[in-house]
Amino acid sequence: MNHRLISSLIVALLLGLTGPVAAAPEVGQPAPGFNVIDTQGQMHSLADFAGQTVVLEWTNHECPFVVKHYEPGNMQMQQRSAREDHDAVWLTVISSRAGEQGHVSPEQADELTAARDAFPTAVLLDESGDMGRAYDARVTPHMYIIDGDGILRYMGGIDSNPSRHAADIPEATQYVMVALEEMAAGQEITHTVTRPYGCTVKY
Amino acid sequence: MSMIFRLALIGAFLLAADAWSAPETGPVQRDHIEVELVAETLSVQPGGEIRVGLRMRPDEGWHTYWVNPGDSGLPIRLEWTAPDGARVSAIAWPYPDALPIGHLVNYGYEGEHLLPATVVVPADLQPGSTFTLDLYADWLVCEVECIPGDADLRLELPVRDTAPATDPDHTGLFAWADSRRPQAVDWPARFSTEARQLSVSVESREALSAEGLAFFPAEENLVDHAADAFVAVDNGRVQISQRLSTYFTGAPETLSFLLVDTASGQAWSLQAEPGDLATSGDAGTLADARPNLALVLLLALAGGVLLNLMPCVFPVLSIKAMSVVGGAGQDQRAHGLAYTAGVVGSFAVLAAMLLALRAGGEALGWGFQLQSPWFVGILIYVFFAMGLALSGVFEFGSRMMGLGQHLTERAGLRGSFFTGILACVVASPCTAPFMGTALGVAVLLPWPLAMSVFLALGLGLALPMLALGFWPGLARHLPRPGPWMDTFKQAMAFPLYLAAVWLLWVLARQTDPNGLALVLTGMVALAFALWLAGKRDRNPTLAAGRHIGVALSLLFAVVALASAARFEAQAPAEGTAWWESYSPERLEQLIQDPERAVLVNMTADWCVTCLVNERAALNTEAVRRAMADNDVVYLKGDWTRRDPVITNYLARYERNGVPLYVAYPRNGDEPRVLPQILTPGLVVQALENL
Repeated sequence: MNHRLISSLIVALLLGLTGPVAAAPEVGQPAPGFNVIDTQGQMHSLADFAGQTVVLEWTNHECPFVVKHYEPGNMQMQQRSAREDHDAVWLTVISSRAGEQGHVSPEQADELTAARDAFPTAVLLDESGDMGRAYDARVTPHMYIIDGDGILRYMGGIDSNPSRHAADIPEATQYVMVALEEMAAGQEITHTVTRPYGCTVKY
Repeated sequence: MSMIFRLALIGAFLLAADAWSAPETGPVQRDHIEVELVAETLSVQPGGEIRVGLRMRPDEGWHTYWVNPGDSGLPIRLEWTAPDGARVSAIAWPYPDALPIGHLVNYGYEGEHLLPATVVVPADLQPGSTFTLDLYADWLVCEVECIPGDADLRLELPVRDTAPATDPDHTGLFAWADSRRPQAVDWPARFSTEARQLSVSVESREALSAEGLAFFPAEENLVDHAADAFVAVDNGRVQISQRLSTYFTGAPETLSFLLVDTASGQAWSLQAEPGDLATSGDAGTLADARPNLALVLLLALAGGVLLNLMPCVFPVLSIKAMSVVGGAGQDQRAHGLAYTAGVVGSFAVLAAMLLALRAGGEALGWGFQLQSPWFVGILIYVFFAMGLALSGVFEFGSRMMGLGQHLTERAGLRGSFFTGILACVVASPCTAPFMGTALGVAVLLPWPLAMSVFLALGLGLALPMLALGFWPGLARHLPRPGPWMDTFKQAMAFPLYLAAVWLLWVLARQTDPNGLALVLTGMVALAFALWLAGKRDRNPTLAAGRHIGVALSLLFAVVALASAARFEAQAPAEGTAWWESYSPERLEQLIQDPERAVLVNMTADWCVTCLVNERAALNTEAVRRAMADNDVVYLKGDWTRRDPVITNYLARYERNGVPLYVAYPRNGDEPRVLPQILTPGLVVQALENL
C-alpha cells in the first residue's frame, strides 16, 4: 500500500521532470482526460461525468477474449450491474484503427450492442487511438474505473483467469465488480492494478 | 435481474458449450497452426525413458508463447494423461525470441518448434502392447490478431523389449530444442525493483559479452518488455536493468530468468534473490517492495553485526574490549547488557528522531547529521580527545568514559552504557553509505516496522559485546592483560587521529579555510585544556588557576567551532571543471536536448562509497573520454551540506542517502539508475548506451 503511494509519487515527479513522455496512467492519480465521439456523433469528455463513477471497457468484437465475456453474458451483466446497482457510467471504447480488426462504423457498433444485448452508456469510437494511448490500453478487454473526483481507481484485466474459456469465468475474480462494490461500501479496493489479458489493441 | 440469476444464466450457457472431442494422432491442423504430439524414438522399452514433445508449426508470421508471454499473449496450457506408472516431466522450455508486435514485445516462437518433455515408461509394460500418451494443449497463436486453439493429442508407440531406435523424422526438431536449451547455472545473482526498474546483478562464471546478451525474465508481470533492457558486463559482473511493468504489483520471492548470448546461441537459466550483490549480506537487501517482516529484521540484525567490522566502530570496540580484558567489571553480563542498552537506546532515539521529523514533513536522509558543521566539529573534538587520551596525554578514559579500573561498579555499568552510545555516534560515517538504501526504505515503512528495523540494527551492533558478557568464556580467547596493553592503547590513537583528519576535510568543504583554521585552533585549545586538566598539583591556588585555564580553553574550543559553523563554503569554480553542478533547471534543459545525454551523480564528501566510486570509476580517463565521445553532460550534486533540492531528487528514486547515479538517455527515454558500486567498464558501457 505504501509502495503504491511511493510509485505514484515517483511517477508524478518523473512526469514533471521528463515532460511529455507517453506514460501509463497511475491509480490514485487523476485519470487522463479525453474527447471522443460516440456512435450517435455525440462528444464525450471525462469532465462531463464529474460526480459519477466511470467504467471504461476497451473492446474489439472479433477478439476471442472479448467473445469469451460477451457470449455467456458476463460483460453485459457487469454493464447492467454497474449502471443500475452502482449508478455508474459505462463507456465501451473501440481503438482499432480503420482497416484493422475490430474497427467498426457507428452503425455496426450499434448493431453489435443490440445483437449482444449490451448495456453501455455509450460506445466511443477512438479511431485515432489517442484515448487508448493516453490510457495505455494494451488489450481487449482492458478495464478502468474512475471515481466521481476523476481519480483512477482501477486498471487492468476483466478477471483473474487469463484463459480464453468461458468455463473459467465463474471461478475467476471479476475485478471490476469487486472494485465497484468495495467503492460503494467505502472500503479500500483490494485489487487496484491487475494484469490485463486479451488481444492487443489494433492501433 | 439479480446478479445470482445472471450468474446462473452464464453457468447454463457454459454447460451447453462444453463439448468433448476424441484425441487425435498425427498432425492436427487448427487455425493458423499445425500441432502434433511426437516422440524422439519409434518405440518404448519397459522401464526406459524417452523424450516426447509438442510440435507446433504456426503459419508464416504467426507465433506462440514462452512461459512468460511478454506484454500480451498467453502461455500454452498443457495437461498430460499418461498410463499408470508413467511419469511426464515438466516442459524443458527452449529459450524464446523477443518479438516486437506493434508497441509491445512478446516472448515466443516463430516457425516450426518443439516443446520437449521426458517420459519415464512403466517397467511392467508388456512387449507387443501399445504405449499411449495423451496431451490436451490449449494455446494462443498470434500474428497481430490472436486465435486461441486447443487440441486433444495422442501419441501411440509400440512397446518393444529392445532399446528404441530414433525416429529420423523428428531428430531435427529435438536437435533444435536442445540447441535452445538453457544451461541451469547457480551463479550468484541478486535483483531489486527500486526506482521503477528491475535491476539484476549476476556474478557470471563464464566470459560473457554485453553485445547481443538478451535477458528474459520468467515472471510475467515484472518488466515492461517493450522497454530496452540495459545490459552491461564488467569483470564478470553482468548488470541488467529494465523498466518495471505498469502492472507490476510486487516483486517475486525469487526471480527466474534466462541470459541468452544471441551471437553464439548459448543460454543460461538462473535464479536471483532479492538484494544487491555489491552489498549482499548487509541491510541493503531490505530494499524490497513487499518486505517480509522476519526476513527484514533478520537482515537488519545481520547488518548490525557487520557494522562491528567497520573501521569507524572498531576503535570504540577495542576500548571496550580492553575494559573487559582489564577486568573492569566483575559482572560482565551486566556490562554486556548495559552496552546493549546504550546501542539499542541510541538507535531508538535516532529512529524516533527520524520518524518524528518524517511526520513533520521534514525531508531527511541518513547521514544527514554529518551535514551539520556542528555535528562534524563535535565529532572531530571527540575523536581528537579520545586519540589524546589513548596517546597518554591525560587519563581521559578512566575518568570520563568509565572504562578504567578505578571506577565503581555502578560507574562501570554507566560507562558501558555510554560506550554503546558512542559506538553508534562514531559509526555513522561508515554506516551511512551502507545503510542508506535500507534506511531509505525503512523510513518509508509504517513506523512500528521502521522502529523494529532500527532496533534490530542496534541489537546486531551490540551483539558481539553482549555475547562476550554472557559467555565470558569467549573472553578467555582474548589476550592476557600486560604491558602490551599500553602499547596497544597508544597505537589505537592513530586511527582516531586519521578519522579526525578525515572529518576536518569534510568540515573544510562545509566551511572555508577560515572556518577550518578556527576549528584547528579549537583543537589546540582542547588539547591544552585536557593536558592541563591531567596535571597534578598540591598548591590550591595553582589548582584553581588550572581549573580556570581548563574552563577557558574549553570555552574557546566551543566558540571556535561556533564561529567556524557560520562560514559558508564557496561554490567550487566552474568552467575548467569537466562536470557541472546539478540543478533541476539545468537537468530539465538537458533532457529536452536531443543531442545530449546526462549522467547525474549525487555525492557527499562524507560518503566513502561516493569517493571511492569517483576515484576508481568516474574520474578515470576512460570514463572522461566516453563522456566526451558520447556527448554526455556530467552533473554532480553535492549533498555534503543539507540541500532540499538534492534530498527531493533522491526521494524521487526512493533513496534516502548517497551515492545515486542516474543516466538519462538522449532520446528522452526513462532514466536508468546505475549500481551503487561502479567500475570504469560499467560506466563506459552505460554511457555508450545512452
